[in-house]
Amino acid sequence: MSPASSDRPAQPAQLVEHFFRHETGRLHGALVRLLGVHNLTLAEDVAQEAMLRALRTWSMGGVPPNPSAWITQVAMNLGRDALRHQRMASGKEPALITHHEQMTATPAVAWEAAHEIRDDALRLMFVCCHPEVAPDAQVILALKVLCGFSTAEIARAFLSTEAAIEKQLTRTKQRIRDAGIGFELPEGENLTLRLNGVLASLYLLFNEGYKASSGDRLLREELCREAIRLTELLIAHPVGRIPRAHALLALMLLTAARFPSRLDEQGSLLRLHDQDRSKWDRALIARGLLHLGEAAQGGDLSEYHLQAGIAAIHCMADDYASTDWARILRHYDELHRIKPSPIVALNRAVAIAHLRGPQAGLDAITAIPQRDRLESHYLLHAVVGELHWRLQDERAAAESFRRALSLAHVGPEQAFLARMVERTTAGPDDGRRPAAWKN
Amino acid sequence: MPTTPTPPPAPYMLFFRNSGPDTHQHLSPEQRQQLVTRWNAWFEGLVAEGKAVEGQPLELHTRIVSGPGGERVVDGPFPESKEAIGGYVKLLVGGLEEATAIAQRHPGLAYGLIIEVRQMTPDCHLGVNTKPSGSREVIVH
Repeated sequence: MSPASSDRPAQPAQLVEHFFRHETGRLHGALVRLLGVHNLTLAEDVAQEAMLRALRTWSMGGVPPNPSAWITQVAMNLGRDALRHQRMASGKEPALITHHEQMTATPAVAWEAAHEIRDDALRLMFVCCHPEVAPDAQVILALKVLCGFSTAEIARAFLSTEAAIEKQLTRTKQRIRDAGIGFELPEGENLTLRLNGVLASLYLLFNEGYKASSGDRLLREELCREAIRLTELLIAHPVGRIPRAHALLALMLLTAARFPSRLDEQGSLLRLHDQDRSKWDRALIARGLLHLGEAAQGGDLSEYHLQAGIAAIHCMADDYASTDWARILRHYDELHRIKPSPIVALNRAVAIAHLRGPQAGLDAITAIPQRDRLESHYLLHAVVGELHWRLQDERAAAESFRRALSLAHVGPEQAFLARMVERTTAGPDDGRRPAAWKN
Repeated sequence: MPTTPTPPPAPYMLFFRNSGPDTHQHLSPEQRQQLVTRWNAWFEGLVAEGKAVEGQPLELHTRIVSGPGGERVVDGPFPESKEAIGGYVKLLVGGLEEATAIAQRHPGLAYGLIIEVRQMTPDCHLGVNTKPSGSREVIVH
């Protein structure tokens, strides 16, 4: 039927995966430089228009050899038009327009333009993660303007409505305008502060995807992938290439490497010792360890360093039984020192239970300061249930698992806990108690 | 051996309507990318089979000339953007049925694309010469 296409002219270029989505952040960055941070919404509209033109032209004429340059050119031209309209409407003198056009319409050296645009995306990241913006709002704005998620997708990922997300985005952009946030890369002492804000926001974005406590699972894994992409973007720039950023990236990669084994065939959550380690993504682990090595340059020891260190210990253990719990406990001790939180304390208690037995774990949990903050979290009760079970106290175990089940929100977690309730109420040890727990 | 004789390939035009920005505004970036990819695959497949001769998007900016002396000149876009032709593909196929079947496989239909299928005819009913002299197109089978 179809003849070999070797004699045909060159195939039109193919778009790389997520081209439109990832192009969004670049375009927004370049357009915000042209239009100003106060014109973020206009930049979004212009980028949208450029995308639609690309869609029309490319779907009927094929994809150009350099789609990225094509779409940037179109967007910048549209941006200049929009600016002209805006200035005419506001009655600014024409001389100013002419001056501006001479400044911006001069075809820049290609290299410089590419360089500039890379910086623009980073500048936009600093705008999204500005301390004037609330952390949750930062994540949602970043998803919209940097990652090219539609409001519908964001709403699905956060189990919210499009209208609610839209409203929050409008408020956030208003906040940015009111605060007069500029579009420059921070410098000096301010840089460290602002970088910490960006890292915290990227960490939050990753966690939103990882925690799987609500929403569409595939979309949530996309959030993790986006967090990794943005952190890589940050590290690609001299401004962001600091040990702490490497540590955060290592943490993300080493955690994402274990995605494929998190759920069983029924979509039920699997604990670490029940996971099939052969499903772990070795390439991601290798990349994670590489960045962990980079993170060790210099004297900085952040929470990301410690968490990445813990993730690395898990990834490097051949099986659950040979996990180096002593080292993990040392990491949690240190983590609890620099960033105390009930969740860290709970994880520390799990490490203690592995080293010194279930009763020691339960004692550590009882000793957690502000433990009441964990009472409404299913994880506390799931861990307590597990430890009681190991102490052969089936009744206390069943009670804790039931409590945990009533607090869990997502299918996979509920399925797991329901199984545990069933197991603990089924009578004496059914033989499925994992070997690692028998000590 | 086919029992029915295949009709000689004839030129058909597919006109795309409702393919403007309004139609695709609500798509997410991922959906847009899928649409471009599938649209191109549809077209490239036809080119590979020798069934598509050319295709071209059209600018939506429109100018309409009418009136006895051509004095009525209206700048488009059309009031109803659904009506505007956003592009065309020229086919060389065995008949209206085949051209229609090709149109029916178009991935853009799912997003509201409207396709008009028209056979091209070598003769104008007014007898107007529609080809530049000396380059009369002859379709060789």
